[in-house]
Amino acid sequence: MTPRDTFRFSLQLLLLWHGILAAAAAIGAYLAATQAFDLPNWAHTLLAILLGLSMAASAGAAWWLWRRDRRGRNLSLILNYLLFVALLLLWFQSFNFYLGINSLANTFGRGVPFLLLLLIGYVVGAQADRFEQKPARARFFTRAGKYIALIGALFFLYAVGILAGLQSFLARFSSLQALALTLLLALLALMLWLAWRPGVAQALSARNSDEEMLYGLLFLSPNLLGFLLFFAGPLLLSLYTSFTDWDAFGTRNWIGLANYGEIFGLTFANLQSPTQLAREVIDITRFDELARLNLFGKHILVGAEDKLFWTALRNTLLFVLLAVPLSVVPALLLANTLNAKIRGMSLFRAIYFVPTIAAVVGVALIWRWLYNSTVGWINYIIAAIIGWINGLAGAELLSDPAIGWLSDTRVALLAVVIIASWQWLGFNTVLFLAGLQGIPKSLYEAATVDGAGSLAKFLRVTVPLLAPTTFFVLTTTTIQAMQLFDQVFVLTTPPGGPGTSTTTIVLYLYQSGFREFRQGYASAIAWVLFLLIFGLTLVQFQRQRAGADA
Amino acid sequence: MKNSLRWTNFLKNLSIYLILSLFALIMIFPFLVMFTTSLKSASDTFRFPPRLLPREALSMEVAGFAEPLPLYYVDVDGAEREYVLIEKNVRVGVYAPADDLAAEQVRELALVKPTGGESNPQSLLIAGKQEPLYDIEVAGQITPMIQVRRTALGRFADPENLDRTVLQNLRLSQPVDRLTAHPENYQDVISLHSMDRSLTNTALVTIIVVLGQLSTSILGGYAFARLRFPGRNQLFLIYLGTIMIPFVVLITPLYQLMVQIGWVDTLAALTLPWIFTAYGTFLMRQFFISIPLEIEEAAVLDGANRFQILRRIFLPASTPALATLATFTFLYAWNSFFWPLVVINTGNAESRVLTLALSVLGGRAADSPNLVLAGASIAILPPLFIYILGQRFFVESSTSSGVKG
Amino acid sequence: MKNVRFYLIFVVFAALILTGCTSPAPTSAPIATEAPAATAAPAATPESAPAAEGVTLRWRTRPDNQEEANVYQSISDNLNLDGVTLVYEPGGSETASYQDVLKTELASGTAPDVFWIPGTDVADFATRGLLYDLRSLADATAGYADSDFYPGPMFHLTFDPATSSAGPALWGLPRDVSTFALYLNLDLIAEAGADDPRELEANGEWTWEKFLEVAAAVNALGSDVRGYGGSAWWGPYGVWMNAAGGNFFNADRTACGLDTPEALAGLTFAQNLYTSGVAVPYGEDPEPPFRAGNVAMFQNGRWATPGIRTVEFDWDVVGLPTGPAGNPGNWLFWGAYVVNANTAHPEQAWQLVQALTTAQTQGQVAALGANIPSRVSQEALNAFLTFTPPANNQAFLDGLANSPTAEGPLWAGSWPEFVSVMDAAVSSLLSGQSSIDDFANTVCDEANKAF
Repeated sequence: MTPRDTFRFSLQLLLLWHGILAAAAAIGAYLAATQAFDLPNWAHTLLAILLGLSMAASAGAAWWLWRRDRRGRNLSLILNYLLFVALLLLWFQSFNFYLGINSLANTFGRGVPFLLLLLIGYVVGAQADRFEQKPARARFFTRAGKYIALIGALFFLYAVGILAGLQSFLARFSSLQALALTLLLALLALMLWLAWRPGVAQALSARNSDEEMLYGLLFLSPNLLGFLLFFAGPLLLSLYTSFTDWDAFGTRNWIGLANYGEIFGLTFANLQSPTQLAREVIDITRFDELARLNLFGKHILVGAEDKLFWTALRNTLLFVLLAVPLSVVPALLLANTLNAKIRGMSLFRAIYFVPTIAAVVGVALIWRWLYNSTVGWINYIIAAIIGWINGLAGAELLSDPAIGWLSDTRVALLAVVIIASWQWLGFNTVLFLAGLQGIPKSLYEAATVDGAGSLAKFLRVTVPLLAPTTFFVLTTTTIQAMQLFDQVFVLTTPPGGPGTSTTTIVLYLYQSGFREFRQGYASAIAWVLFLLIFGLTLVQFQRQRAGADA
Repeated sequence: MKNSLRWTNFLKNLSIYLILSLFALIMIFPFLVMFTTSLKSASDTFRFPPRLLPREALSMEVAGFAEPLPLYYVDVDGAEREYVLIEKNVRVGVYAPADDLAAEQVRELALVKPTGGESNPQSLLIAGKQEPLYDIEVAGQITPMIQVRRTALGRFADPENLDRTVLQNLRLSQPVDRLTAHPENYQDVISLHSMDRSLTNTALVTIIVVLGQLSTSILGGYAFARLRFPGRNQLFLIYLGTIMIPFVVLITPLYQLMVQIGWVDTLAALTLPWIFTAYGTFLMRQFFISIPLEIEEAAVLDGANRFQILRRIFLPASTPALATLATFTFLYAWNSFFWPLVVINTGNAESRVLTLALSVLGGRAADSPNLVLAGASIAILPPLFIYILGQRFFVESSTSSGVKG
Repeated sequence: MKNVRFYLIFVVFAALILTGCTSPAPTSAPIATEAPAATAAPAATPESAPAAEGVTLRWRTRPDNQEEANVYQSISDNLNLDGVTLVYEPGGSETASYQDVLKTELASGTAPDVFWIPGTDVADFATRGLLYDLRSLADATAGYADSDFYPGPMFHLTFDPATSSAGPALWGLPRDVSTFALYLNLDLIAEAGADDPRELEANGEWTWEKFLEVAAAVNALGSDVRGYGGSAWWGPYGVWMNAAGGNFFNADRTACGLDTPEALAGLTFAQNLYTSGVAVPYGEDPEPPFRAGNVAMFQNGRWATPGIRTVEFDWDVVGLPTGPAGNPGNWLFWGAYVVNANTAHPEQAWQLVQALTTAQTQGQVAALGANIPSRVSQEALNAFLTFTPPANNQAFLDGLANSPTAEGPLWAGSWPEFVSVMDAAVSSLLSGQSSIDDFANTVCDEANKAF
């Protein structure tokens, strides 16, 4: 056979395959549309749509391939690839790969000591770099490292139970389903290979751009498919849920914007006197008193349909307003100080980064203990400092405040602010430091020549040139702050307490969705939060733009 | 002139170091407290005023007493001595002459006799109230006094001579103690709350998420940075937009998805959804875009395919970005709490990760902070250890995100 | 070297994935196989039933500490129900949101067959149709009677929302009960020269006034010493309301009763405790300072006993002081084992609920010292008295006997909603940020929305 014949043969095979595939997909789609499988309704619909699309795509691919159109190859490759991935996922499922992570965790601990061997191998191998002048010795180290690592890896795998794993892997082939799936996968792989070969591409006069597109889609596909499955899909479902009254058990009833209406439901009423009762001016079966305003002597009462949302919003914004500056401004100053070339700077830098790597839950448990108002360290230190000042002055200048960090509704949020700023400070410092090191020294030297002091240099050189970093730091910190949950959840009892003084939007969302079974409402809150974050980021982005243009 | 300059410099440096050290102390102190408290015994934990180091009270075998007696510092005629506590709650009265209430005398209730004897107790009318009088001996002289108040004191004795005793307030007495450590707290936490399994789970989850996210992000980032295909720019904009979406938006639907595919309560639910992130892709794309086109074109001319280009040219050049992404992902995977809280049944030790186990521990052992903080140490120390090992790598790499972002 | 490293990592990773497909270990098999079956929707269970020889029941309760979790585990291992395999799952702790997890699982059909819930949640769960009505099964069971358990919990456990009457339904059986007592630091009280509350109680003089006297005397010992400590939830402040003759609700529990003069009298007393500085500040956990030896009287339930047993000072318990209404106003706390409405095996689940509430099982749990049996049986109570310290265990039983108010769910409204409004209002009252008049004027306007 000449190469031409092979390609013709390949094309014919592909044509046949797509014909069969289109027919099979059509039958499958029909069965799914008539709900023939043991699946929930929505899965039937989804399946019918997907199979219908596959049918159309397969038919299209066949048609183009018949016409010797290069698009036929593209379509065939994409379709077969997608089918391959879908089947691969099913294959994984039937071989128990996903749940296998749990059984891996059962035995993983046993293998850990051998991982050390792997590490040693790596270290030994790395020694080779020190003997660039002596190739023989370098080769020795490289090889020794390789073998040590290899032995470590083998022992590790054995300890973790590779043999048992292989055994059950092979055993699963005995099921007809697994076998069929494997064969189908092989068939798809063959079709992919047939269409992929450069000869076929040439025969169909594929262009370079086709190749680039296929590579692009191939490279993006793991990410994109996962993104669609685990992110975009749930995202759309959540948007839909926010327009329903779903309670997590029953059906989702479309109620339009009612959830959003309840979230933002406010009412205003004029008060005769500042102390007039709320029930006299607003409909208290629907609204709760939120605030009393004094506008130029006119007293206005604000009522909210969902008071707790507004409280949570206020707490969250207050938190952002306090925690963001507290974790950004000192970070900038510290970074500026650290940027000076004095000894021990890297040590300080390392220490400041430590809180960043600690688990928030653990950190919150530590601080809960430090904050204890009666036996905790913080109040003890405050009392000691006050005692010292009083002792210096020889008089009772200050009295011990004995702050109820987690029990006083007025300071509880501040307690959370302190933890968060403490934890974010070091990270921001390191980010700023990186930004500072990117500023050319010559600019400072020029400023010195102009006679600028250190403050002037900081304001005229550092701050403007650091703007991109500042933008990044501000944005990420703000987004993080708007989503405050972990700290509050672990630190305060009950979460959000005392009272509602530390209830944040995310916490409130969690409580509505998972405690009061108002999933539709919780989804709506989530989307409101998204819009808020989006708005804030946009504002910061615009300001940065404006700053950069100026 | 030169000297004064040196002085200013010295003072300036000193103040810088002072400020930096102060901040360093603030950053480290909570961890110090965590670690030292985790080595304390249960009763030592609740001592006030708090002490940093774990200590245990000393006691002493004394003839005539079955149990060893605790040692305290007591004040004997102005000198501090180490005495043993032989009796608690000795009831005493504070007595004073009616005309001079400031001249207080402390006597044991059992030893005080009423003035005039039991048969004919005397009393005094003070502010409309009959106050009984008692005979109190001061310096050999007996004076009738009234009882001002009652209290209870501890009876301490010289261990060498048990007859030499002192009455002193027990609550305010300082026990004699020495440094100690209770590493068995860690053993308790590990065995009682299967923290070892949680540690394994967390490690495994972290490894899979980091490696998985790196691979998908590298591939996706390269596709976005270098390969043209229809819809690329629009898709990239969507990716960018989703970075801002708070995760909580997804909680409910993602949980439903996990239920449908049967992953609830498994490690798969903690790992696989987190392998695909828009953020990682974005980060890698930003980095790849900054690599000069020419190098790549040369390789294309040499007949290298895209995989080879990615592996031979892009990967070696992007170590900082990879390290950044690995650091972020590591921190995220190791510390994530909200999603495990929802998707893993907190009682299920098989699939519990460290943060979850900690939160359970915080509740179940709420009355023993030493154990809770031992648990916190188990969660915090491993990443800390890794961090110290690769400190330079960690910090320097995680900085590049700020520049490139 | 680079190449090798690359492939090495790849191979190890692939091998790890392979290793992962090891069959799950036998111990975890029931969980691993049950979970997907349960998610396949209840309709699929008949299909999966033949696969398992017997019946597997999953049950769950919230232990307060690890010792308790171990006891439940051993109970689960030793119970012999015909052809039933039991799988015990310890739930999270109070702070790790036991109920949140349970609700999430109920919503997705992965919840256990039998589980424990606090008494206040029964109405919420029952009216949503999440609980199996055991009445017909109970009627067919020889030897079962509602009256074997304390009537307070049973009122709510047999309440039928359709007819608004107690009796026709049966949602579950109480696991255990508890009441409040005051844990005493006897050393502090002696040092203050105050009267011993236990003697006062024995003499019938243990009233609010005496309580305040003792607390104030101890408080005078120093700035870091407090007379009283109570935790920040509805239990402790509710006691003062009850003792003054008030209640959270009106008589038939259909509206807010927080603004009645009696309830306000109780809250005023409580507010005074906090604003005068006699009490550990509201919201601050009083247990650490109590265990540090700085609080004289710590109000808590039986569940605090195991923790308190490690303190170094002399301690005991005493009943709550008598209020103006002539009683100590104690609560009867309880939680119940209930059956999942979607269980595939209701008969076996009912057997399990009964087996978990026998006198013997309750005795095993009570031996830890954290619980009181929920069965009305002198034998069980006598056994309870032997679980010392504290020496004065009788204080808890007195609390049970002195007609305590049973904590109860809201059949006519939403308890979680009510309690969140009430907690916020009381917290601002007790920390001195709002006056009792503000409280009286506004609290019921908001709280009544829960009905």
